[in-house]
Amino acid sequence: MTAAAARRDRIKHAFLWPAFLLVLLISLFPLIYALTVSFQTMRIVPPTPPRFVGVQNYAEILQSARFWGSMWTTAVITVLSVILQYVLGFALALALHHNVPGSSLYRVTFLLPMFLAPVGVALIARMIFHPYLGPVNDLMRAIGVGNVPFLTEPNLAMAVLIIVEVWQWTPFVTLLMLAGLQSLPQEVFEAARVDNISAWRRFRDITFPMLLPISVAVVFIRLIEGFKVIDTVFVLTGGGPGISTETLTLFAYNEGFKKFNIGMTSALSFTFLVVVVVFGTIYLALAQRLTRRYA
Amino acid sequence: MEGRGYRRTGLVLALLWFFLSIFPLYFVLVTAFKPPLAVSQGPTYIPWVDFQPTLQAFRDAFAGLRGDFWAPIVSSVLVSITATALAVLLGAMAAYALVRFEFRIRLLAGVIFAIIAIGGFLLLHGLWGMRVPYALGIVLVVALVVSVLANRLPLPGPVMGNDDVTFWFVSQRIFPPIVSAFALYLLYTEVNKLGLRLTDSFPGLVLAYTAFGLPFAVWLMRDFLATVPVEVEEAALVDNIGRFRIFFGVVLPMARPGLVATSMIVLAFIWNEFLFALLLTSGKWQTLPILLAGQNSSRGDEWWAIAVAALFSIAPMVVVATILGRMMRSGLLTGSIK
Repeated sequence: MTAAAARRDRIKHAFLWPAFLLVLLISLFPLIYALTVSFQTMRIVPPTPPRFVGVQNYAEILQSARFWGSMWTTAVITVLSVILQYVLGFALALALHHNVPGSSLYRVTFLLPMFLAPVGVALIARMIFHPYLGPVNDLMRAIGVGNVPFLTEPNLAMAVLIIVEVWQWTPFVTLLMLAGLQSLPQEVFEAARVDNISAWRRFRDITFPMLLPISVAVVFIRLIEGFKVIDTVFVLTGGGPGISTETLTLFAYNEGFKKFNIGMTSALSFTFLVVVVVFGTIYLALAQRLTRRYA
Repeated sequence: MEGRGYRRTGLVLALLWFFLSIFPLYFVLVTAFKPPLAVSQGPTYIPWVDFQPTLQAFRDAFAGLRGDFWAPIVSSVLVSITATALAVLLGAMAAYALVRFEFRIRLLAGVIFAIIAIGGFLLLHGLWGMRVPYALGIVLVVALVVSVLANRLPLPGPVMGNDDVTFWFVSQRIFPPIVSAFALYLLYTEVNKLGLRLTDSFPGLVLAYTAFGLPFAVWLMRDFLATVPVEVEEAALVDNIGRFRIFFGVVLPMARPGLVATSMIVLAFIWNEFLFALLLTSGKWQTLPILLAGQNSSRGDEWWAIAVAALFSIAPMVVVATILGRMMRSGLLTGSIK
């Protein structure tokens, strides 16, 4: 590159830096402060001056049954709901791709749930699953099962949270898998049809392997996003009954804003970050191996 | 023959899913028009048959009968529109730089930045007891200047390119938001003490949400801008027209569908966001999701009132989803998703 061209290119910094600085300032720099806070005991109520305690907060977290409980809850909700989202979402994408009757109608409606506020979705779910006044129990009574205490029994409360997650985020999987299906080369499928290969084998041997990379990405995004869940739980169960549906984010929030234990919340959020990075790396390593075996 | 079996299964599944997606929305829509008795005596479904619809719940909400209803709507609208506009503008600019120019960042310069930033903060705040915002500000400037200069030196080690910069932006999304939201809350409270109010304020929220929306904006706009042909720009460059005029006058108008789609997606994320609003607001600037979350404990079984509030959060997103659904059918989004 000539010196003149390099000088002319200097304008590129004016384009990139505003965004770069803002993310640095708002998303990353506060982390430095929060990291130092995580090694201190610091309380707002009653106000106590910060005191350096080393890794004591982290040790306390790792020994706390509540932390492991919330970790388990988060993992169960995330993994089960992502599996369901993937299977259902993929099946729906296949149906839409093969133009089932009325598919143009579904295309707009099936996008809707993922654009709604999770808090709003949770409020609606609270109505739908209400023990006496909700439509689901209306149906249960009609088929003779009787009232089911959806939100007050721990396992059922978990199930409802999973259903809500699946309801809201299956469309996301459908959207991306549909895009993937539309990008596949048609010739391969025509050749397979000529060779009289059954629909199931066409799926197993052609469609699925070819969509494996995008599947890996979609599942990754959903796992990462699912792991953050707080809004739905906050409204739907508040972590209850007891603390049986408390997720990691909710636990960290409660620690900071109900017990006002700031140092602990900081330590918790960094522990959470480590958990996400570790699981994310494991997942990507496994996924890479899987993709290579098929390719 | 067997193909028909799959087809039928697909149709049943699609119909079932259609019903399941629509029913809860239908239910909340009709509930907003129910009189109290139609809720408390068990579920009712069809207006005029099961119950006589009424506008009472809407009237109560607008009259502010149970708490202020307008304030959260106004603050949600102001904050999400401003932050979306800023995020998409800055994101599009950054994406343009990443598409048209080459960036080379030495890994070592990045490491130097991190060391100076963290070490300097510990020194200034931890040892000398400097106020947090001042310490962070000084450290930021020093670390930036030193690492930018260091980047010019022929340092050893890997050199990162444009894809890494994009990944840096997107990786903000992998972070659990509680990490940055809580850190931001801590920083904002420190800035408050200096007399500049950031918690529960318009600038504080807009800053947070702009940074929150930027990763999406950069990522999506990069794909959209890559499809804009470079020849037009080159012609303009020869005529000695400035880059900024080219960007705003030629490139952005040509990428308008992408701009609309990106804005819609960013707007949806900011409009629905809960955690940042929960941590950073306490009264005046509370947004709709916070109002909604509060409904539960404050209203109990007053479903008609809850439904009205939910509808106000849902309605704009129905418009957004419809616009995006149209664009998707025209093949615009499928191209960018890849």
